[in-house]
Amino acid sequence: MSAVVERQHDEAPVSVQASYSEDPRDVGWVVQNIPCQAACPAGTNVPGYIRAIAEGRHGEGYEINRAANVLPGVLGRICSRPCEPACRHGWPGNGESVGICDLKRSAADLKNAGHRITERLYAPTGKRVAIVGAGPAGVAAAHDLSVLGHDVTVFDREQHFGGMLRYGIPEFRLPRDILDVELRNALRLGVEFRGGHPIGKAPGETRLTELLKTHDAVLLAAGCVAPLPLALKLHGPGAAKMSSETDCPDVEHGLPFLMALHRGEKRSVRGRVAVVGAGYTALDCARVAMRLGAKEATIHIRTTEEYIPVTKVEIFEAKRESVRIKGLRAPVGIVVDEDGRLTGVRFVQNRLGAWRPDGRRQAIAIEGSEFIEPCDTLLIAIGQRTVNDFLDLAVELDQWHNVRIGDDGMTSVRGLFAAGDYVTGPTTVVEAVGRGRQAAQRVDAWLMGKSRRKRVVQITPVQAPLRERAYDFIARQQMRTAPLQERIAKGRDAQPCEVELGLDGEQTAQEARRCYLCNLKYQIDIDRCIYCRACIEVAPRNCILLVEGVEVRSDGSYGRLQEARDWNRVGAIWIDNNECIRCGACYRACPVDCITITRNEFVEVDTP
Amino acid sequence: MSGPRRHVIIGTGVAGNQAAHTLRQREPDGSISLLTLSALPFYNRYDLPKVFRGIHDWRGFLVDPPSHYEEQRIELRRCTRVVNVDAQRKVVVLAHNEELPYDTLLVASGGRAYLPEELSEFRDLLDGFSSFEQAMAVQRKLPQGGRVAILGGDMIGLDLARTLLDTGHRVVLFAGKFTFWPHTEPPDQRVKLLDVLERMGVQIVDAEGRGGIASIQAGAAGFATRRVVLGDGTEFPADVVLPSFGLVPSVEFMLGSGVAIERGLLVSPTLRTSDASIMAAGDVCQIWSDEHKRYRFYYGWKNVRSMGELAARNLTGEDEPFVPVQDESLHEHDGTVIHSPFWEYA
Repeated sequence: MSAVVERQHDEAPVSVQASYSEDPRDVGWVVQNIPCQAACPAGTNVPGYIRAIAEGRHGEGYEINRAANVLPGVLGRICSRPCEPACRHGWPGNGESVGICDLKRSAADLKNAGHRITERLYAPTGKRVAIVGAGPAGVAAAHDLSVLGHDVTVFDREQHFGGMLRYGIPEFRLPRDILDVELRNALRLGVEFRGGHPIGKAPGETRLTELLKTHDAVLLAAGCVAPLPLALKLHGPGAAKMSSETDCPDVEHGLPFLMALHRGEKRSVRGRVAVVGAGYTALDCARVAMRLGAKEATIHIRTTEEYIPVTKVEIFEAKRESVRIKGLRAPVGIVVDEDGRLTGVRFVQNRLGAWRPDGRRQAIAIEGSEFIEPCDTLLIAIGQRTVNDFLDLAVELDQWHNVRIGDDGMTSVRGLFAAGDYVTGPTTVVEAVGRGRQAAQRVDAWLMGKSRRKRVVQITPVQAPLRERAYDFIARQQMRTAPLQERIAKGRDAQPCEVELGLDGEQTAQEARRCYLCNLKYQIDIDRCIYCRACIEVAPRNCILLVEGVEVRSDGSYGRLQEARDWNRVGAIWIDNNECIRCGACYRACPVDCITITRNEFVEVDTP
Repeated sequence: MSGPRRHVIIGTGVAGNQAAHTLRQREPDGSISLLTLSALPFYNRYDLPKVFRGIHDWRGFLVDPPSHYEEQRIELRRCTRVVNVDAQRKVVVLAHNEELPYDTLLVASGGRAYLPEELSEFRDLLDGFSSFEQAMAVQRKLPQGGRVAILGGDMIGLDLARTLLDTGHRVVLFAGKFTFWPHTEPPDQRVKLLDVLERMGVQIVDAEGRGGIASIQAGAAGFATRRVVLGDGTEFPADVVLPSFGLVPSVEFMLGSGVAIERGLLVSPTLRTSDASIMAAGDVCQIWSDEHKRYRFYYGWKNVRSMGELAARNLTGEDEPFVPVQDESLHEHDGTVIHSPFWEYA
């Protein structure tokens, strides 16, 4: 298949001859060779948007992002960055990974003020879809379903949309003006939002069965908002008057604490604050506590700092704000005085155990090693779980009491779908966005009786290497941050100050040049190759090989290369795209122009 | 076992150097590679204040002559940065992409000066004093009778303060929770110790009680080159500002190895890490203490040397636990003298 592709954005008025492929080898190549995109739960075309940024087309970079996730400016600030550990630039010997997330933010920050949003709208279908939950999964699904022509209504218990983005994440990480603009953009295609409208069984609440009657499909994206309980023993003179740790006025769960603050309710902390937990919520609680005037804030974790699932940047910034992290300890009790006020947390010392199946490290308590850490406030942030008490009909649940869905995204109830953290348990914003988009596709396929979109590989010839070897030696750009004295708001009415300030234009350009552009596929035409070895001589890595053969796996990816040790057994000269850093040295050195470059990337097209 | 074993030691401080010597004695045929980021062979870091007493030749600091390593058949690789340890393949990966295979690996990379994260944005205005090159840079920068601001005041920094006072310089100590690190003293004892320092001539500033250190500023032309600004707004001029907040273990290159790390490498009392082929010794490791029921650091050069020797013994067939050999108490005498085991090097 071949077509002239008109790019949709006024920043790049180009047309190029492209072909499309569904051949498993081409699909496999993209999956295998663009590790950042493969690692992104939303499937963002990372090299695509970074190349646009490198060429100064920030608006197009933003739109390429937006094709995969509707909140680039938000995720550019708070994404957990699963793409960056996968980045080829960070592989051993290649240096540091590219600041992919920072560049995502740059595309959002540096695009023109009058930037034009692009939506490829489908004709109205007349189908009505209700979405329960206005968090990242619900918003992503609502956007995609409205683009696909359905009438979408989003219901949420809270007054404003955004879910955990608005109520769970502090403003110093995610300014609300940025959030509002992107949420409005996502929902401006006629999505109706009914805030302060809980779905449930209580009087005055709308029942789920009612929604199912009045809509063609219902998507549950209610997230994980209930804190996981922590069984703590009570010690001290005031313990007898309490039945659990939450009876102590100085003990609170972290997520409700943050959500209350972000609803505008007053919250305070007392003296020395201890936070237990190892995720973003724990880190946010500690940083918020410092802003609320805590004397000190310490995060206590079961394993060690190396293994907690938050970015190193967040840890560093928390430490700059005087948050301390203490490892290898698990809370087992609290100590209260005769007035019932907290005086300390009782911990047991841990040691590190084996790796868990989820890739995290086990912590094993050491018998007889309990100790007390004095503190005045305890915030518990060990995780969240789903709540199903709003369901007024029987829905099949899994062993963790999450709703079970089939391959079509539907629950055991016909027409009732589910997505995001409500299905998977607590994950990350980018995962929720990815799941929301996936759910939208599934709902649409069910409503319309077929999948209307499919993923293919677009192959575009590239006339010359887009990189220079010198780019490989550019150091990763460090983002500017707000001075410490400006971070901690002075007085209750002071405006929160965003901590990370983004890369400036020059930093953005430099960082974008660092990307290897792994979507470029270098190939040698062996019929034209004269085997002069010039490309092998100039290659900076062991990326061009004389091979006997190449294994192609069943999924289309390339497997083992059988390197030839004898001239008589050479079957081909082969560019190992896994090792290749797309420097273009081989292309420039080839005397017979037998090396070709194509840009291979996933695009979505309409099905016939 | 076939052929001599390949022992790789990362770090040429007290622990690494001692381990290399003990290994050579106990295993004459083994290959020993000693890797260091430093340009110099093992020298005594505690001696660095001597640059203010006129010793400016690096050879004056060496513990062993350079030829010693050749004589001992110890391969000393200077200016070598380790970037990764692949414990599964048993190779040490160096910054220039060389891979160094090992049968046993001893990590003795020590600690580097800790700079609290809140001061990291002022890094360019601070000086270090943990290598010969840094010590010489401070010596060149400091005018005769010049003023040195010591932030924090760990025992290494206070040792330097003694020499600076002896050699006619002025010292301002910005005291806080790191003062006297790694000792932790009760408040009444701490007051007495600070009094002793004051009598010695150190100007004490209660930084913690005055809102902490807010910023470090460059001085205006014609004035002292630096200003230390406290949270209450007061400013103190200085020619050199030295952070002195204790040490953090140098473990960054071990993060992908799978070896258990908290702040330092976690080791058993016999100095074994969670990987059977890797041991650790010195300031880089946290040793399990049955007595305290936790992993803890043991500082002081005698402890560190003892760990180096023990690690080498345990790498060559023994299985002995570490027993601290150094007193960890700090005390003052007659209100005029401070005794610390960390100052008893020579």
